[in-house]
Amino acid sequence: MWRPLNGLLGNGRGSGPRARYSAFGLLRRGLSGADWPPAWSTHDLAPSYDVVVIGGGVHGLATAYYLATNHGLRNVAVIEKRYIGSGASGRNTAIIRSNYLTPEGVRFYHRSLKLYERLAADLNFNVMFEQRGHLTLAHNDSSVRTMRWRAEVNKLEGVDSEVIGPTEVKELAPFLDVSEQTRYPILGALYHPPGGIVRHDAVVWGYARGASARGVHIHQDTEVLDINVIGGKVRGVVTNRGEIATPVVVNCTAGWSSVIAGMAGVELPIETFPLQAAVTEPVKFFLNPVIVSGTLHVYVSQTARGELVFGASVDPFTSYSTQGSLEFTEELAGHVLQLMPSLARLRLLRQWAGLCDMTPDFSPIIGATPVAGFYIDVGWGTYGFKAGPVAGEAMAEFIATGTPPEIIATFDLARFDEGRLVGEKGAAAVGH
Amino acid sequence: MTTMLRAAGSAARLGPQPGEVIDRAHRFTFRWNGAETAAYAGDTIISALAAAGERVFSRSFKYHRPRGLLTASFIDPGCLVQVGKEPNVRGAHRRVEAGMAVRAQNVWPSLRYDVMALNQAMTRMLPPGFYYKTFMAPRALWPAYQMVLRRFAPGGVVTNTRTDAYFDKRYAHPDVLIAGGGPAGMAAAVAAADEGAKVLLVEEEYELGGHLRWGTEADLATLRELRDAVAANERVEIMTNSTVAARYDGNWVAVAQRNLRHVDERLIKARAKVLVVAPGLIERPYVFAGNDKPGVMLSTAVRRLINLYAVKPGDRAVVFTANEAGDAAIADLERAGVQIARVVDARRGGNLVRARGRGGVQEVHLADGARVEADLLVTAVGWTAPTTLLTMAGGHPVYNHRAARFFPSEPPEDVLATGGIVGDGTLDQLLAHARAVGAEAARRASIRARNLRAGNPTAPSVDQRSPDSSSSSIPDLPIDDSPALFRSATHGIVDYSEDVSSKDIFSAVREGYDSIELAKRYTTATMGPAQGKLEMVNAIAVHAEAAGRSIAETGSTTWRPPYAPVTLGALAGRAFEPVSVSPMQPWHERHDARALIAGHWIRPDHYGDAAAEVRNVRRNVGIIDVTPLGKFDLRGPDVPRLLNHLYVNKWSKLAIGSVRYGVMCAPDGVVLDDGVTGRLGEDRYVMTTTSSGPETVWRWIEEALQTEHPEWRVHVIPVTAAYASMNVAGPNSRELMCRVVADVDLDPEAFPYMRVRNGRIAGVDGCFMWRIGFTGELSYELHVPAAYGLHVWETLLDVGRDLHIGPFGIEAQRIMRLEKGHFIVGQDTDALTGAFAAGLAPLVKLDKEDFIGKPELIWQEGHEDILHLVALQPVDSSVVPPEGSQIIEGRRRIVGRITSSRMSPTLGRSICLGFVAPHLKEPGAIVTVRLPDGGHVPATVMEHHAHFDPEGVRLRG
Amino acid sequence: MILIPCIHCGPRNASEFAYLGELGRQPDPNTTTPPEWRRYLYTKANTAGWTVERWVHRAGCGRFFTVERNTLDNKIRTARPPDAQIRLIQQAGRADPKADA
Repeated sequence: MWRPLNGLLGNGRGSGPRARYSAFGLLRRGLSGADWPPAWSTHDLAPSYDVVVIGGGVHGLATAYYLATNHGLRNVAVIEKRYIGSGASGRNTAIIRSNYLTPEGVRFYHRSLKLYERLAADLNFNVMFEQRGHLTLAHNDSSVRTMRWRAEVNKLEGVDSEVIGPTEVKELAPFLDVSEQTRYPILGALYHPPGGIVRHDAVVWGYARGASARGVHIHQDTEVLDINVIGGKVRGVVTNRGEIATPVVVNCTAGWSSVIAGMAGVELPIETFPLQAAVTEPVKFFLNPVIVSGTLHVYVSQTARGELVFGASVDPFTSYSTQGSLEFTEELAGHVLQLMPSLARLRLLRQWAGLCDMTPDFSPIIGATPVAGFYIDVGWGTYGFKAGPVAGEAMAEFIATGTPPEIIATFDLARFDEGRLVGEKGAAAVGH
Repeated sequence: MTTMLRAAGSAARLGPQPGEVIDRAHRFTFRWNGAETAAYAGDTIISALAAAGERVFSRSFKYHRPRGLLTASFIDPGCLVQVGKEPNVRGAHRRVEAGMAVRAQNVWPSLRYDVMALNQAMTRMLPPGFYYKTFMAPRALWPAYQMVLRRFAPGGVVTNTRTDAYFDKRYAHPDVLIAGGGPAGMAAAVAAADEGAKVLLVEEEYELGGHLRWGTEADLATLRELRDAVAANERVEIMTNSTVAARYDGNWVAVAQRNLRHVDERLIKARAKVLVVAPGLIERPYVFAGNDKPGVMLSTAVRRLINLYAVKPGDRAVVFTANEAGDAAIADLERAGVQIARVVDARRGGNLVRARGRGGVQEVHLADGARVEADLLVTAVGWTAPTTLLTMAGGHPVYNHRAARFFPSEPPEDVLATGGIVGDGTLDQLLAHARAVGAEAARRASIRARNLRAGNPTAPSVDQRSPDSSSSSIPDLPIDDSPALFRSATHGIVDYSEDVSSKDIFSAVREGYDSIELAKRYTTATMGPAQGKLEMVNAIAVHAEAAGRSIAETGSTTWRPPYAPVTLGALAGRAFEPVSVSPMQPWHERHDARALIAGHWIRPDHYGDAAAEVRNVRRNVGIIDVTPLGKFDLRGPDVPRLLNHLYVNKWSKLAIGSVRYGVMCAPDGVVLDDGVTGRLGEDRYVMTTTSSGPETVWRWIEEALQTEHPEWRVHVIPVTAAYASMNVAGPNSRELMCRVVADVDLDPEAFPYMRVRNGRIAGVDGCFMWRIGFTGELSYELHVPAAYGLHVWETLLDVGRDLHIGPFGIEAQRIMRLEKGHFIVGQDTDALTGAFAAGLAPLVKLDKEDFIGKPELIWQEGHEDILHLVALQPVDSSVVPPEGSQIIEGRRRIVGRITSSRMSPTLGRSICLGFVAPHLKEPGAIVTVRLPDGGHVPATVMEHHAHFDPEGVRLRG
Repeated sequence: MILIPCIHCGPRNASEFAYLGELGRQPDPNTTTPPEWRRYLYTKANTAGWTVERWVHRAGCGRFFTVERNTLDNKIRTARPPDAQIRLIQQAGRADPKADA
């Protein structure tokens, strides 16, 4: 059962900082000039942990947080190669939604969205989840058909989702060109009111602060070099700061999941592709909902800071390089201007790339592996951030109870050998 | 209404300066916040305003503090203005034009009286990331808080009107591309061109010259010589007011060009053989209390103002100098008649404490306790190397504590650096270095050109002259000592655009954001419009100080492209979104066809009334344009083997003159495409695919022929656009065909169903036609050379008038195929639908040697636990459940879905295709369809996929 | 944008090509087992480093070929015709597989 801990005050035996964040606290410390305590603690590497989580992104930190919070497992380490949130968690476009296509997918992401809705309260850290509404545009009749399919599945799963026409689209996002005489006319959209954007770094920091307060050790600048497996069982990990004995290792990496899994002798159905994103200079607020066009491979939102954040589909070939490309910005700008022609004079400020682990069925791989004690929470493609809370919650439950929760049952590794792929391609391919 | 005209020559304009860029013969006015203001041609927006005595140009992001001139260059953070519809214009860079409407940004209601300036009083309650610590409860108020936070968003305004701006693109193939047109860039350009290289020289400012422009008489003389040499060399193309935005893998370089008369911005995509990075150095601000007050300027800013624009930056100045640039600024200020109230020399232990004043500097407090009245405070503390382009090429900047700045690490072969980014020294040393780099760049470019030619196996033979392989030596530039002056004893602004102070960075570190990357994200320092070029090194230094680490240990954050912002318009260029249309499209348009966009094809959806079109086909005869069908001409003795490999069914015994329907599956057994293939001659076949399929199918064919069976003798030619295709359908179609077809016996015995014939149609040779029936009617699919498509189409309509011929579109075809129960790949199948689920069991021949998808299909056979495609009829025949409606059991258990649905004009009832769970697939089963409005309709599972004429009597007629 | 060394046209912009994934070895379709076949279909080495992969010059000559690329920095060191072509040419006793790829 999920048992939220309301705030951090007076709870837990774990080490670490406790200082409740509030407007009153800001005022008090503002007047007294007192510092806020560190959001998380630093520790020496312990010789052993009950659980070692590899990857200090939202998935790894959420797993550790829920292990400590929901299951009382506090002798847990999160190992991060660079700094927390330095991978995909800090590079995604921070879109939250649950309007997937398959019932399994919808249920899973819906749970995540619900966790996001109360995350600020649970973590006492405002993750700035703005539920602006999410529009997936349909530019042809086959898209309209898929949107309706998604809307109907969504509704049956209790998710607010509806197909709307161009007039309603225009009301929600006046800058969209809904005229018929365009190459990609907007015939309608899948409207998902609870969808929105979140401050991605805040989610990472909020989980880190919450986990640390409950005794979890977060080790930044610590790289896993090898995983010790003896007799088909995990025994420990080797890091650049020393060895750690542990019976349980959770691979919560993105981009490097094949490499980490390889250390435990596990091969994955994953290919790593760069995914590029970009922001413009800030302008005054004009775009409320998140806009997605699968046909045009683009998703756009405007942050509270006024920047437009753009993303696209993954690059055309695999790579571990995050150099970025000009083709991406060219195509992106072209497609954004197809949708919103009046933005031609807006300037692109910064582009970057993250690594996405694509699976054959555009669904994640969560669960056990043939190596006892080696768990994986990988294959998050372009939709990992929105699933961070639910993946962490479910993975923690799996580790603590030894039984995979039903919500992740269809996302197991064995499904590929057994030919039980998940049909999420249509909603996930560019479906931010 | 009268407006006061502020004259260009008033307030602060100086007499003529030796290096000035303003044209005093051209005076005009523009509007600043509505007020008429004078300017000279050559003025920037801000220099004209400064000349008119303006001091405040914007309000800061968070605290809405008044901001003035700081750098007087492109990156000046306080000088972003709105020009007409264009937001975030770099006012200290952009040249002012007559009539321009310029407004201050981020102010409400006005620049002078800004309500949100109240935030300044709240500074202590608004530490970095304050929003992460509040607005959490009650949750019901969070949307209201969001509205408040949004008001903080800085920047200009975009208007929702179609832009009149014009943008385009160009490719360039320079041997040497030089980023930066200062002395080093110019010298390198001439040296490279002298070695025979084609050079593209790109400069961010409106004219070449860099810091020489505000230098001594001798500097100006050198500048003239360099400009002349560059201009005289026809191998050098010069682009001013242009930015090298980014360098990508393979030296693919993006340049944003803005010096064109009729193009707002042009994106140049250059495949540079060698890139020379020569951006110079950027002067670094100093961190102290009040360092963002209007009147605090960098030494380079005052030198630009005085020397380029003849603007007096203030009346009474304190100058804080740690280097020659500061000393030179003093000389310039004195010459401009600015009273030097105090020189504070850091080299002799002098330091600043704070600047005070309302709305701008009024008093400067010094470390020695002095308080000096002044309206101008000039700082010259050191430099930042903008290493963006070099870090994009790989490697991390390395901190040199002697020079108190970062230096680039060794770049790859095809990138070189010169100028201030590499080192210091005299102008002569700098020019010598640049010339050596230019020559070396030319040499490497010629080697690279040779290697590229040699890498092309089919190019004409390679030029045998080998380029000079001896690497020319590049002299080292000395590195001068520079004091590590980043912050005084007080706290001040580190990032002007983001309103981040050194105090904020200290608190971030104390809160655990103790790596520079975390602190950057937490405070947002370096994330504003200058992207760190102005504030990065101070942010790192302050962070290092707060964390008790060295700057070298702290390291640099990542410099991300672009070097300077580029408009979406330039990145997009002119919209190029090609579409395909058939040769009959003009006819469709003349006859009011409603267009359907399907992939890249534009085709008729209907001509007004799809149901009437259906009735006419069923009763008389209709024609539809099916040109988008994918078509391949396959020739050679091994074509049957290829077909056996691609399709799940058998092709070995296809007789000449016969056609067969086939289905292709992917290696995972999922239905991928379907179509008809006919044998037109001994070794000649034509294959058709779905309209969206030809690209994929062509790749599969080639893949099979090139990578798996290169021994097969098959030639394949994609002929989709070479033939115009049309389907003649309906009971009168044979009669119609008799009137236009020559050489072919159309008697049903001679030309039965599923046969193909070559022949002449409406006088056109080289046609072929086959009898198939997607609509379920007697029908002929005609494929005629594309050039004659329109002729044949019009002839059919003409000669068939008495047979009541009419055109029909895709919608009518979809209705009729649904009446016949034919599925559409991608609509009635999805990314997981295998051949057996689609009801194709009779077609799949698992006894074939091999074909794509065979192993999976073997395992799929007999596997019952899948959804099955069935025909369905709602019990209430007037209800058409929209496609995508779900079939459910109980309240919400999904057991299938409707994939296709229409009202059948032929049957006068609604008809569907859909997937159902195995226990519901038997004919007669009643399922519950949930409608989008929440209602439910029961539907019956039918025996056959075909709702109409299941025996196919009509099409075989 | 990286340059892909087409075996027929020489180095060209990567945007002219389509990436077809890492080179795998197809099991015998008539004797394979579901796990073996699905590992062939789905499991990837996904090497961080030098990898052998297939490309086609989609918007050019249409040739399929095999490339050795380093996925860490996208540098390419070799390009060769498909193995089946090399085998065929070797069977025919011809020396240079590039000559008639």
